[in-house]
Amino acid sequence: MTARARAARALNRVVWRWPGRDARKLHAFARAEEGSRVDLLLAARRTSSAARRALYLRHALDEARHALMFSRRAAELRLASGRPALGPPRADGEALFDRLGEVRFLAFVHRGEARGRAQFEAYRGHFAAAGDARTRALFEAIVGDERRHEEYTRALLVELAGGERAARRALRWAAAWEAWRAWRRAGRFVAERLFVITMMALYVVLAPVGLAMRFSSRRR
Amino acid sequence: MAAVLGVSAQYHDAAAALVVDGRVVAAVQEERLTRRKGDPSLPREAMRACLRLGGIEAGALDRVVFYENPYAKLERVVNGALRAFPTAIGLFPRAVGSQLGGKIWVLDALAETLDVPRARVVPSEHHLTHAASAFYASPYPRAAVLTVDGAGEELSTAIWRGDEGGLALVEGIALPDSLGLLYAALTAWLGFEVNDGEYKVMGLAAFGQPRFRDELARVVRLDGDGGFSLDEKYFAHEHDAELGFSGELERLLGPRRAAGRAWDLDGSAEDRRYADVAASLQAALEEALVGLARRARARTGLDALCLAGGVALNCVAVSRVAREAGFERLFVQPAAGDAGGALGAALVGARDLGDPRPAPQTTTALGEPVDEAEAAELAAALGLRAAPSDDPDREIAARLARGEVVGVVRGRFEFGPRALGQRSLLALPRDAATRERLNRVVKRREPFRPFAPAVAAEATERLFEGGPPDDLTPFMTSVRPVRPEARARLAAVTHVDGTARLQTVGEGGALAGILAAVEREAGLPVVLNTSLNGAGEPIVGGALDALGFLLSHAVDAVVVESLVVTR
Repeated sequence: MTARARAARALNRVVWRWPGRDARKLHAFARAEEGSRVDLLLAARRTSSAARRALYLRHALDEARHALMFSRRAAELRLASGRPALGPPRADGEALFDRLGEVRFLAFVHRGEARGRAQFEAYRGHFAAAGDARTRALFEAIVGDERRHEEYTRALLVELAGGERAARRALRWAAAWEAWRAWRRAGRFVAERLFVITMMALYVVLAPVGLAMRFSSRRR
Repeated sequence: MAAVLGVSAQYHDAAAALVVDGRVVAAVQEERLTRRKGDPSLPREAMRACLRLGGIEAGALDRVVFYENPYAKLERVVNGALRAFPTAIGLFPRAVGSQLGGKIWVLDALAETLDVPRARVVPSEHHLTHAASAFYASPYPRAAVLTVDGAGEELSTAIWRGDEGGLALVEGIALPDSLGLLYAALTAWLGFEVNDGEYKVMGLAAFGQPRFRDELARVVRLDGDGGFSLDEKYFAHEHDAELGFSGELERLLGPRRAAGRAWDLDGSAEDRRYADVAASLQAALEEALVGLARRARARTGLDALCLAGGVALNCVAVSRVAREAGFERLFVQPAAGDAGGALGAALVGARDLGDPRPAPQTTTALGEPVDEAEAAELAAALGLRAAPSDDPDREIAARLARGEVVGVVRGRFEFGPRALGQRSLLALPRDAATRERLNRVVKRREPFRPFAPAVAAEATERLFEGGPPDDLTPFMTSVRPVRPEARARLAAVTHVDGTARLQTVGEGGALAGILAAVEREAGLPVVLNTSLNGAGEPIVGGALDALGFLLSHAVDAVVVESLVVTR
């Protein structure tokens, strides 16, 4: 079991019981699936092999279906609690195929699928225990797809990398790259918060200018 | 003689367009290639596609024109937020962040991406590029031009005079008075997504009665002379960019509709009330647009009108302008939204460099062609059945006659929101059940959404009122009443108000062969023609998207050029 799956299992009660958190988390999964769809379609466009193009396309269609399933369940939960749905899951791709090349792209996707499968298995167990058959069934359906994606990406990775050892090397590289990406994302998160605070302060400092502008436009 | 690339980006629906020696060579929306609906990002893929289609390197471009002035926009955003002090404190960091974090550097980003000297990359103006996209693509030597949009740099609405000398601004209406923002705010109030749900509001309006006209008259005031203004207290554009309306609007019209709730216009009085508000909004918009068009006529004294800007995509309002504003001829740029700004930018640049006007626009098929061989290879890899047909038009007609729904992928994909036969989903138009099937099962969208007919030009007057085909009907930019005696045979494409957003297909048009074959099979040269995409998806671009569509939607076949693909 991965560290993330262990954490998911340990934190299930907190994560899912928090009011409103369930729909937001499902919607976040929908966005992640949507982002993955965009990257897989790019890979399908770029790869030189028709066979791999077909695999990436089918994978992308699965991700689109997952995004829809997650966002629909999120909408159901939101509407049931008297809140509006969160809208369609929008996400950017990361152009990973272009940035990493096909072997490392596959290593990255494989790791993501394995991690997602383990995490979703933990959530499936949680909802089974909680008696929420609909959400349990949602994770059940998706876990099956994730396992299939995990298997085919592993097989392709070994094939394209040129053997098991090279595939493991690519997976280690992907792990390091993910850590670096997570570090940068954390940095961006902090920088964004600092920027917001700075801009709010600037807005207050500039308030007299704004009030003067409003006053002068009224007089005109 | 020059090669000019026009680019629109960073708000919604980014695009690129290439004009070479005064000829429109290519125009591509980024979403068709990245597969993100309304993709606003810098259109790297679309720019590359345009250059590929034009057969030129970026270095050979004489000019790259961005569709608006990013510096003027920054100024407007900052000034607007400051003027709204203190309510915009939440929005200010996000607005400034988005400007400083990317938008303000767009000209440099274009130069870097294309690897062209920065001096060759210039900004234009938002409404000028809209006006150019309509006027220079129109068949008129002289015309009044009306651009009506959500927001540009400062203007929301502008009247232009177009003639041999180019385009001259006659007058404009500045933000925050904006019909686009009015429609967007009410779109959000009705629970739809802004920049995506406006069509839904227009379709919904036909199910309602405009019994909230008085309330809407308080929100948007028409001055009787073509001008209008919004009462700012009903809006929240300066501090809530997503919703755009204030609590005052909810006090006036009632609580907003919850986004995502299923519509029930038959059983829910509440939903019928929302439809009545949509009808009232539509009526207010139509009156405002007719007033503006009349003013444009009075100010220019010209008999032809060109329309562009997102509001010009409201084909019901456009039809009313055509009937009531007093112009003899009317043309709407088929890509009237922000994507069309890329085309306008390229045309403005080409004119500035001394190139002639392009020939009048006769097609929107300005994107990348589909590769049949790629489709065949991919179909084999996917385990799909695929066989070339000697007579694909007849094959498609026979399938439609059997009640099948067939995707058609031919030639270059369209530029703009309408599928006009190159990336279309076709069915026979006679059964209302077909509309239900398409809305609920294939496109998975609201049950009230209408479908459009494509009709052979020579049959237009037999089936539709309003005279022969005009400059609007080839592009599906207007609606016409369906003749009462034809409605039973066109049940799937006749909207609840008895109209249809028809497309007329002349000789040599993309659907001409299919319509002739359908007439032989089913008696009428009409098909239901809707875009080849599902809910929230961009329209199909290439072979990969076409087969992906077949795999993920309940259609019977997709025909890629002459290749018939089934599951």
